[in-house]
Amino acid sequence: MPTSFEIFQALASGLLLGGVYAILGVGFGLCWGVMKVINLSHSTFALLAVYIAYWMNVSLKIDPLVSLFVSTPLFFVCGIVIYRLLIGPLAKRAEELVAASMVLTFGLAILMENAMQWAWKPDPRVLNVSYTGKAFFISRVSIPYTAVIGFAIALVTTSCIYLFLKKTYLGMAVRAVWQNKEGAALCGVNIDRVSSITFGISLATAAAAGVCLSLIFSFNPSSHLGWLIYIFLVVIFGGVGSIPGVLLAGLLIGLITNISAVFIPNAWVNMILFGILATVLLLRPTGLLGQREAR
Amino acid sequence: MRMSGSSKKVITFVLVVCVVAVMSIAAGCGGEEGEAKGPIKIGGTLPLTGPYAETGKWIEKGYRYWAEEINAKGGLLGRQVELIIYDDESNTDKGVSLLEKAITVDEVDLLLGGYPGTTAAAQMPVAEKYRMVYVSMGGHMPSFEQGYQYSFGGPPLMGQWWYEGFFQWLSTLPEEERPKKAAAITVNNVIGKACLEDIHKWVEELGIDLVVDEFYDLPLASADALVAKAKAAEADLFFANGLFDDGVLTVRSAMAQGYNPKAFVQGIGSIVPAWVEQLGEYGNYIFSGTAISNKLPYEGIEELNEVCRERYNVTAAPDYFLYGYCWLQTLQRGVEGAGTLDQDSIRDYLKSNTIKTIGGEFKFDEKGLPEPYSFCTQIQNGKVELVWPAEVRTADPVYPKPPWGS
Repeated sequence: MPTSFEIFQALASGLLLGGVYAILGVGFGLCWGVMKVINLSHSTFALLAVYIAYWMNVSLKIDPLVSLFVSTPLFFVCGIVIYRLLIGPLAKRAEELVAASMVLTFGLAILMENAMQWAWKPDPRVLNVSYTGKAFFISRVSIPYTAVIGFAIALVTTSCIYLFLKKTYLGMAVRAVWQNKEGAALCGVNIDRVSSITFGISLATAAAAGVCLSLIFSFNPSSHLGWLIYIFLVVIFGGVGSIPGVLLAGLLIGLITNISAVFIPNAWVNMILFGILATVLLLRPTGLLGQREAR
Repeated sequence: MRMSGSSKKVITFVLVVCVVAVMSIAAGCGGEEGEAKGPIKIGGTLPLTGPYAETGKWIEKGYRYWAEEINAKGGLLGRQVELIIYDDESNTDKGVSLLEKAITVDEVDLLLGGYPGTTAAAQMPVAEKYRMVYVSMGGHMPSFEQGYQYSFGGPPLMGQWWYEGFFQWLSTLPEEERPKKAAAITVNNVIGKACLEDIHKWVEELGIDLVVDEFYDLPLASADALVAKAKAAEADLFFANGLFDDGVLTVRSAMAQGYNPKAFVQGIGSIVPAWVEQLGEYGNYIFSGTAISNKLPYEGIEELNEVCRERYNVTAAPDYFLYGYCWLQTLQRGVEGAGTLDQDSIRDYLKSNTIKTIGGEFKFDEKGLPEPYSFCTQIQNGKVELVWPAEVRTADPVYPKPPWGS
């Protein structure tokens, strides 16, 4: 029988990890929902942000959190450039944008992986900071500082994206494109501009996610492939394009994986997770908080 | 003088016989001479690109240094050696087909061992098919239990022996000082399961209660629940029986939870140089195992360390450089002992003699394996130290493990 310590530890760990899942998925879901672009290089950009944080820490002795102020705006600009050069032209020509974007961004991911392998070698890396492995305790339950920082970044980022979409004119334009692209265009929304900014925001969230990941996981140039699984999981579970849905899905996945591991053998956790996912999708194909696309 | 018809026939016959005989002798001599002058071709594959490239390149460096060294000393059986190393791109299927190419197209005289274990295990039946001696790390115990006659692990990378050194040392402690409860979390793959066999065997032998025995799949997202189970069960011996990424997560989780067993033992991940380079002080006091080390007091190791320092700007020879060198040294011992390139003779020599290498002395059994062994390592002050067997010890083991960060 599991002890109360195990259960509360799993609750705390699951919740904190769930935030990191959410921030990984939020930009990816936005891109998919608004632009109908499945960006398979999203996790590769997150990994690039991890390497930037690592490089700044090792070479310049700068805390990875500071790298957030470098990689986030940098990736936003990168996103706009990539949209202008690759995604935009593809969107105009491709008959099936979802499939075409997957092929294009998969190629981009492989290119980036090889570039990172060349720059940093295939060796695994670990980012150690003064607060690595340190925690504060609530009763016996440990709350690692790195996980709290990751969770806070995730919460702030998703909240900012949510407020941007709800409270700003540009955000409303993004939602309009997402709900009905042709209708938005008829109302004077510049689809190209909205899409490029959306892609920029999406990559900026990947940069923030990368910093969270760098504090928790070791990494190598292939790590992005494992992270991509979780991105798909949270976005499909939460609902494509739904920011609260992705946040909720991230937290639930974190909790399910950790709490179920307390009661059943760890090797069965994925079976439970994917079983719940399948059940939710059968009952609600749009995901937890996803909405049907307007036709 | 005119010769009779029958005399002409006799003379013609004798001349023909003489010409044929001379030509045969000339051809025979020419062949032997060509063989003596031509290099011995040793071929195989390594992952020189792809995910295993970094390790594969170190093995290649070990192979090439061995060839350079033996050529400088006059060659193998008096002939220079030439290596033919194909890049299998970290792909097992390519490893198999390229090894076949080396045997059938390049007609190599001897084989090189492949890497990683999956490729080596897949290449072993190829070597068997062509009845050629194959020295490699193998693919853990099952690959050596197929009845192959030509495969040798010299040395092998054997999960089933991974913790031999650690447990042998543990068994030397007074019983009251030994851990009472063990927890093992194991990566759900062939490597993890192979290492777990060793844990099961020894905890039973030493009467240690295995209170947590769990598998996990990769990628491991969080080790918190697993570590919490071990902590709740008060396990004072902990096995993080996995690879690098999951090992790092587990160490960090144990640190964060303040879980301090008497001994923390890490699996395969800790032989990657990055384990020490990247974890640094955070990895201190963690035990592990290895089948070869640049700190072994055996003949040749220090020279290889010096070569690596000079050529590759490293502090000492990386393990996989030593593996590559040692596999070819094992093959060399077989060839020199047999005095021929005949594969059956090389095999028979290796199976019936004790050979001396930089990895120690090997006496191979019917499976092509030496006696079960591993060296127990412990990270101390950010460096890997050998703590068992006593004759190779570079530092005394630190036990019980001090709390994290102390």
